[in-house]
Amino acid sequence: MSNQDIALMAHLMRRAGFGASRDELEARVEMGYEAVVEELLHPTDPQNLPDDIIRRYHTEQAEMRLADGAAAYWLYRMITTRCPLEEKLSLFWHSLFATGYNKLNQARALVNQIEMFRRHGMGDLATLLVELSKDPAMIIWLDNNENHKDSINENFGRELLELFSLGIGNYTEDDIKECARAFTGWTLGNAEYMAMRAARDSIWPYSRISWFYEYREADHDDGEKTFLGETGRFNGQDIVEIIVRQEATARFICTRLFQFFAADEIDEGGEKTIASMMKTYFDSNHEIRPVLRTLFNSGYFKSDEARFARVKGPVELVVGAVRMAGSYHTPTQGIEQVARQAVYMGQGLLQPPSVEGWHEGIEWVDSGALVERVNFVAHELANVENPGVRKIIDRLAGEGVFSPEALVDRCLDLMGPMEVSEETRASLVEYVAHQGDLSLAGHQQGDDAEKRVGGLLSLASSTKEYQLA
Amino acid sequence: MPANGKKRSLIVVQLIGANDPLNTLIPYSNGLYYDYRPAVNIPAKDVLPIDDDFGFSPQLAPIKDLWDRGNVAVVNGIGYETPVRSHFRSMDIWHTCEPEKIATEGWLGRAIRDLDPQGENVLTGINFGRGLPRALGCKGVPVASVGNLETYGLFPDVEDELQKGYALEAFARMYGMSKDNDPVMDSLGQTGRNALKGADILRTAPGKYSSSVEYAQNPFAQSMKNIVQVMSADLGTRVFYTSYGSFDTHGGELLTHAKLWGEVAGGVADCYADLEEHGLQDDTMMLVWTEFGRRIRDNGSGTDHGAGGLAMLIGGSVQGGMYGEFPSLEEAQQLDGDLRANNDFRSTYSTILERWLGLDGPSIVNGQFEHLEFIEK
Amino acid sequence: MSTHTTSTFTLDYVKTVGLATNQIGRGFINPYDVAFSRDGRIFVLNHCDSARKNLMRVGIVDLDEEEYLGEFGKGSGTGDDQFNSPVAMAFDSQDRLYVTDELHHRVTIFDASGKFLGKWDTKGSGDGEFNGPAGIAIDQQDNVYVVDQHNSRVQKLTTAGEYLGQWGEPGDGNGQFNLPWGVTTDSAGDVYVADWRNDRVQKFSPEGKFIASFGESGTGEGQFHRPSAVAVDLQGYVYIADWGNERVQVFDANGAFQLELRGQATESRWAGDYLNVNPDEKRTREMSNLIPDLPPHLNTPHHISSQTEPYFWGPVSVRLDGQGRLFVTESNRHRFQVYQRS
Repeated sequence: MSNQDIALMAHLMRRAGFGASRDELEARVEMGYEAVVEELLHPTDPQNLPDDIIRRYHTEQAEMRLADGAAAYWLYRMITTRCPLEEKLSLFWHSLFATGYNKLNQARALVNQIEMFRRHGMGDLATLLVELSKDPAMIIWLDNNENHKDSINENFGRELLELFSLGIGNYTEDDIKECARAFTGWTLGNAEYMAMRAARDSIWPYSRISWFYEYREADHDDGEKTFLGETGRFNGQDIVEIIVRQEATARFICTRLFQFFAADEIDEGGEKTIASMMKTYFDSNHEIRPVLRTLFNSGYFKSDEARFARVKGPVELVVGAVRMAGSYHTPTQGIEQVARQAVYMGQGLLQPPSVEGWHEGIEWVDSGALVERVNFVAHELANVENPGVRKIIDRLAGEGVFSPEALVDRCLDLMGPMEVSEETRASLVEYVAHQGDLSLAGHQQGDDAEKRVGGLLSLASSTKEYQLA
Repeated sequence: MPANGKKRSLIVVQLIGANDPLNTLIPYSNGLYYDYRPAVNIPAKDVLPIDDDFGFSPQLAPIKDLWDRGNVAVVNGIGYETPVRSHFRSMDIWHTCEPEKIATEGWLGRAIRDLDPQGENVLTGINFGRGLPRALGCKGVPVASVGNLETYGLFPDVEDELQKGYALEAFARMYGMSKDNDPVMDSLGQTGRNALKGADILRTAPGKYSSSVEYAQNPFAQSMKNIVQVMSADLGTRVFYTSYGSFDTHGGELLTHAKLWGEVAGGVADCYADLEEHGLQDDTMMLVWTEFGRRIRDNGSGTDHGAGGLAMLIGGSVQGGMYGEFPSLEEAQQLDGDLRANNDFRSTYSTILERWLGLDGPSIVNGQFEHLEFIEK
Repeated sequence: MSTHTTSTFTLDYVKTVGLATNQIGRGFINPYDVAFSRDGRIFVLNHCDSARKNLMRVGIVDLDEEEYLGEFGKGSGTGDDQFNSPVAMAFDSQDRLYVTDELHHRVTIFDASGKFLGKWDTKGSGDGEFNGPAGIAIDQQDNVYVVDQHNSRVQKLTTAGEYLGQWGEPGDGNGQFNLPWGVTTDSAGDVYVADWRNDRVQKFSPEGKFIASFGESGTGEGQFHRPSAVAVDLQGYVYIADWGNERVQVFDANGAFQLELRGQATESRWAGDYLNVNPDEKRTREMSNLIPDLPPHLNTPHHISSQTEPYFWGPVSVRLDGQGRLFVTESNRHRFQVYQRS
């Protein structure tokens, strides 16, 4: 198999997943690119760390009192899943439909929302948006529990149109009001008590009580509404059906998918790709799965233009590093700290700063965040006891003596393959050259030769290039 | 103007979890306090009186000493109009000065931006602790978060100094000025250089510092020590931030509250002594705040989330005394069983911003608020 | 109110004790087990979690007045009176309390006032060594049985820590274990082990000879999902904490299913204290249905219990006190529910 095939597969797995080890890349190249895309698009058994094991050894992840434990629970899933696109796409929806713990004080409802993204995230957009409108975390987050027949609260209606589907400029203030009317009565069970507990951050008397959707017919405004030029006695479902038929919705969703999976910036080739994604969207009854297929199989996605054209988000970076290192694959004390690390880098999983989600792209990386990113990944890859690092060492050990240049090239290859600038490569070579050639002959776990490999992997992960996916 | 011409600085101490104001400054001659607090009270005999009505909890003895010297202002009944009793949401309100909607820009982030509009000093604001409180967040404003001053910076795990030096050297070269015309790479390069610069400067601070003050070993006292280390190194830092807790004393309050205040009062007083030793006490103000108060009535073991709270300002230029009205415990005056806030936290912020840091208050705190008189003229 | 299905065996609900907390002092935090001192005080093991490990401790309460009598153990750490992941505990005939810790690979012994007396803490797989000690039981002759989970065995020791014997190996056959958890003994000295990941309870002679196995995987009567604990009363009725199914099942001495408990917690005294000073919560709580009908996608035992406050949630431990009352300890709800034979 060619290096190009490996590089393309690595690109796909960084985007549709969280990166892959060399062994996995080689196996996937054998399968063929389009077959891999299909496998990713049809998640089956994720074989992730099972719930019973997690709950026995992480009591907080059984109770889910606070956000960190819930974030750690999702991290385990991302770290150990065999269906990475399912998680990556859920992370996309979480970024887009950003719902945060800080107002909810109800981590389990957020975990349930993410599970809803797994169930519906690749299906038709109408179902996803209806489920989102019924999601109790979303209901509290955007105050739909305060949206009553006699006094509407526009918050959810507004954000549904502005941030979740049409995008600003494609509807009027009247559309917002009519939309809000259609969602009156969409609330959660025991809404008053649950809202009170959320507002007081109450765990009393006996810990959190999780949330479920409830429709209160008596509080629903069943009157006639005019929305985006159509008139009828619409309820929320009808509104969503109208929304998903709009070209603006197709453009909005396809653009956001493109930016999350293909490139932060949209050039001319990107515009064309988005146009073909939009065509697929309408040809396939607003299904997301075919839209993703169009994207991943597009010439643009496979081209050099799209390679390393995204700044890794913190969660992506953390999960990618842990998957490469092979750590945290079994119950490990400190997994909550891994979740905290992403917070320090600017992305608290299940804790977006506002409904607008995170500022992505290059805005992820300020100087504080860069220090956290570098130190976390370097720590994981420097530890030669980590199984993923051992696999790299084992491969190297069978390949003789390395000059500094050869060692740098081989490690960059096994870590990605990563493409780096001449300056970066020269810096890494100079670093290795301080101690000359490397031989792993007769190496022992944790000896100096192994530590040199760990040191190089750490340094290679601190590069500008590693910040990109 | 500051006495020795140096620029004034602000130390913000956030008491996370909502400190109980009634067991911090105790209305010890008010029978209602003991009526409402049958299980969770400070007996009058233990109170450190500041007058016939009020006194500090015994663990605040080091702060009481500063009070006696006129260096402590207590702001009573501090809060905002419609109380929110969720920690995170209320912290956000205090951090962003935006009670009505969810905002992301912090008041101190804006203050740092206005103190250093060109972004010339990456250390104008520093948080001591991991992660950045929202108060310090502001687009384009770099703020360092320092978990451990001794090892702050890149590759803290590498113990071998030689290896660490090699790695830092390589990092500096990799993030050095590049020739490629890629804006993302250029931005990453600049960010990397800033990170190195900030860390290089900060790490010099402990070496320049000496003091006869011996801080306690708890994390709060160590953060306060780090703050004085950085301040005395004269790196141009104007805003220091640190947090401690948890003051969320729903149960076992007497034990936990006493332990925490023992640590906080000790750390604050040691910090003040250290500032005096370095001649910085008149140019430094500490703001100690918490996100809300606690219920007036105890629950048998602790106290639950309440409304009106208490803040303190400490420093050589502080006009000591009581500010804001101590909220009434009378049932008719309560707000759903809580102390009623009678002065907006943004009054305190505005006073600090305008009268201490010389900034424009309204644009930072989102409005015009009356000033308090806790800064010496 | 009594819960009752197939036979004349019934259990009456007595009361609930507990309250969530996030501090030291009154309240429980992820309680994992209870034990009864000779003077009738109830010792509650607060397992916590690595996320809030400074609160690990043993709390002491009394059942009738629900007084919080005190606590010992100083959070997480390597000190003699500290824990890392405490799992279970039991008193011997001398009123000494033995606490297992699966991450310290340790059994720590305290007196009934909480004073440290000693510890057994050699990690390993040899005689008297531990790898993840979980359940613990002490029989009437003061034989100590410790479930040594990662060694897939039960060890039998004296109260002085002398090794007496062991049995078990990895697997799912008779006498084999997969991450076993709780253990108990009956009046004849036979030993019952909650073979957690094999979804069954195994019964052995005091020497470790296999006698019987209860249960199989599933959610029906006599089926289990990850049973965590077992208790046997003087009549031989067997009470099993069916942890993954969020329930307790009871069998007679022949293994015939008697009934299941789903939990029916009421407000403890401490819960009442809380609600009385937080009337806004109390008012909306009183308007609520705390046993709601849930949408189908939430229809698993764990989801149901996360939404239904009176039900057991995380029932990790079942223990019987000297009067034969059943204590079901719920780690996710920070309380125990008490039942007694009608």
